[in-house]
Amino acid sequence: MPTSYDSLGAGQIARLVRDGEVSAREVAQAALDAVSARDGDVHAFLQVTPELALAAADRVDAARAAGEQLAPLAGVPVAFKDNMHLVGTRTTCGSRMLEGYESVFTATCVQRMLDAGCLPLGKLNMDEFAFGSSTESSYFGKTCNPHDLGRVPGGSSGGSAAAVAAGMLPLTLGSDTGGSIRQPASFCGVVGLKPTYGMVSRYGVVAFGSSLDQVGPFGRTVDDVALAMNALAGRDPRDCTSQRWDVDFCEHLHDGVEGMRIGIVDAMNHAQGVDPEVESAIDAAAQALCAAGAQVVDVELPHAPEAISAYYVLAPCEAFSNLARFDGVRYGYRYEGARDLSEMTSMSRAIGFGPEVKRRIMLGAYLLSSGVYDKYYYPAQQVRALITQDYRDAFERCDAILMPASPRTAFAFGEMSNPTQMYLSDMFTISINIAGNAGVTVPVGVGADSGLPVGAQLVGPAFADDRLLRVAATLQDAYGAAPVARAFSGKGGELR
Amino acid sequence: MSLSKKQVSDIADYARIALTDEELDEMTAYMNDAVDNVLAPIRGLDLTGVEPVFHPIGDLSNVMREDEPVPGLSLEDALRNAGDRDGRSFRVPSILGNGGDR
Repeated sequence: MPTSYDSLGAGQIARLVRDGEVSAREVAQAALDAVSARDGDVHAFLQVTPELALAAADRVDAARAAGEQLAPLAGVPVAFKDNMHLVGTRTTCGSRMLEGYESVFTATCVQRMLDAGCLPLGKLNMDEFAFGSSTESSYFGKTCNPHDLGRVPGGSSGGSAAAVAAGMLPLTLGSDTGGSIRQPASFCGVVGLKPTYGMVSRYGVVAFGSSLDQVGPFGRTVDDVALAMNALAGRDPRDCTSQRWDVDFCEHLHDGVEGMRIGIVDAMNHAQGVDPEVESAIDAAAQALCAAGAQVVDVELPHAPEAISAYYVLAPCEAFSNLARFDGVRYGYRYEGARDLSEMTSMSRAIGFGPEVKRRIMLGAYLLSSGVYDKYYYPAQQVRALITQDYRDAFERCDAILMPASPRTAFAFGEMSNPTQMYLSDMFTISINIAGNAGVTVPVGVGADSGLPVGAQLVGPAFADDRLLRVAATLQDAYGAAPVARAFSGKGGELR
Repeated sequence: MSLSKKQVSDIADYARIALTDEELDEMTAYMNDAVDNVLAPIRGLDLTGVEPVFHPIGDLSNVMREDEPVPGLSLEDALRNAGDRDGRSFRVPSILGNGGDR
């Protein structure tokens, strides 16, 4: 009897392939069918790579036929945010600047998923250079939220979240500098983890804010996200921020939260600007954790309100520095007909970069200029110390903090036309990047008014991501795994 | 705090982004909006005596690898995405201007 491919998670697919119930090639074909049946409406993909996926599938099937032990995610389709290099693909960062750029090396996070046996289906849409919260700023067009095609999927990893929500893939990778995994996971009703800074190598991921960026997985279950983390986490000699890690994310995933303390920051969860339907969904999530045996405690994060200011100083400064490499010489868009090198660079950047990229670069250039640095950059790093200490103090009193991932559910295209209005919507995610902690979004049903997915965010101390996922798995037990968006469920892609 | 169009134009020169006159107007409005409405709270804090933290992993030390040769990017790969090349080199317009020979 045929099974719909999108009803299976990564762990289930890997088991079926391992047991010989289906071949990896059949899985790859079902995934490609699902993508071609669904992505015309969603536009999550910037590039689909059937030849890479089928070649990887054939390697898995050959290994199985030869009696070899299969890797843990053998036969599981995956796709990558388009700021991650993979040889044999273009890596555009959603920008005209890198239109047609061919990757000449492979990112460590991508390689680790491939080494775990995953089948690479392609590259996913994003806000240009990851600057944004809606994926509307991609040069290659917007991605639609599978739960309501008139709404944004969130961003910047909007393609990664939407592809999972539409059932095209059980797993994708995204990156998160100020909420770019957790906010789209919330808008699209899927699980998304921003691991602790240093947990996953960033080698081969185009840098935005080097002291903030972290790579993480999206899935429809916490179990699949934990499986992906087993492949991703750990030291990479090519990224000096990556740390040793040899804890199994799956081993204690379902041990529950009995005796754990869940922190609530009342001033944040009920802050001005938080939609009532989000407030009540998060209150209900706290109740669910209580019912599972956790104790809810009040904690404070006194400097959280200043996090947005600190972030919009630090992130543009780091982006200004990181994007200086795009000069039209070694790679990227080149303006032809310039009289000299300086004009070529200025015109290449003027044409190659979109409006939001220019805004961030300009803000960073200003903030790092002489006389201004002392007024903003240095104080922002002092605020970073205060925020980090706030979290340390809070985690003396609790094991995880529960808050919304976003003050509201997915907004309509064009609704956030003012860039600074969009910045302020990052209020719940940003402080976690500043402190370097882990944060995970778990779907907790739909909003009472909008009917759109609401995500609860759980924040944990640094390098306790396995325990954080345990709390996430408990919420999942209460709410169930993330459903495939109704309009796409079962559309294309069958396994016999 | 208010940035003038002239200041914003100077920043654009420094950041190597050519902006049209209309774009300069928009950018000036944006930067003033961002500074006044997003960044301003940071200046209202008393931060006396607070030691800054520049990195989430505070005690990170630079670890040098053994000095052993490993394969790097091939010349062909390094040049593959270049806007223009000349044999083994990236090719760029005249650096000193005047539109002379490349």
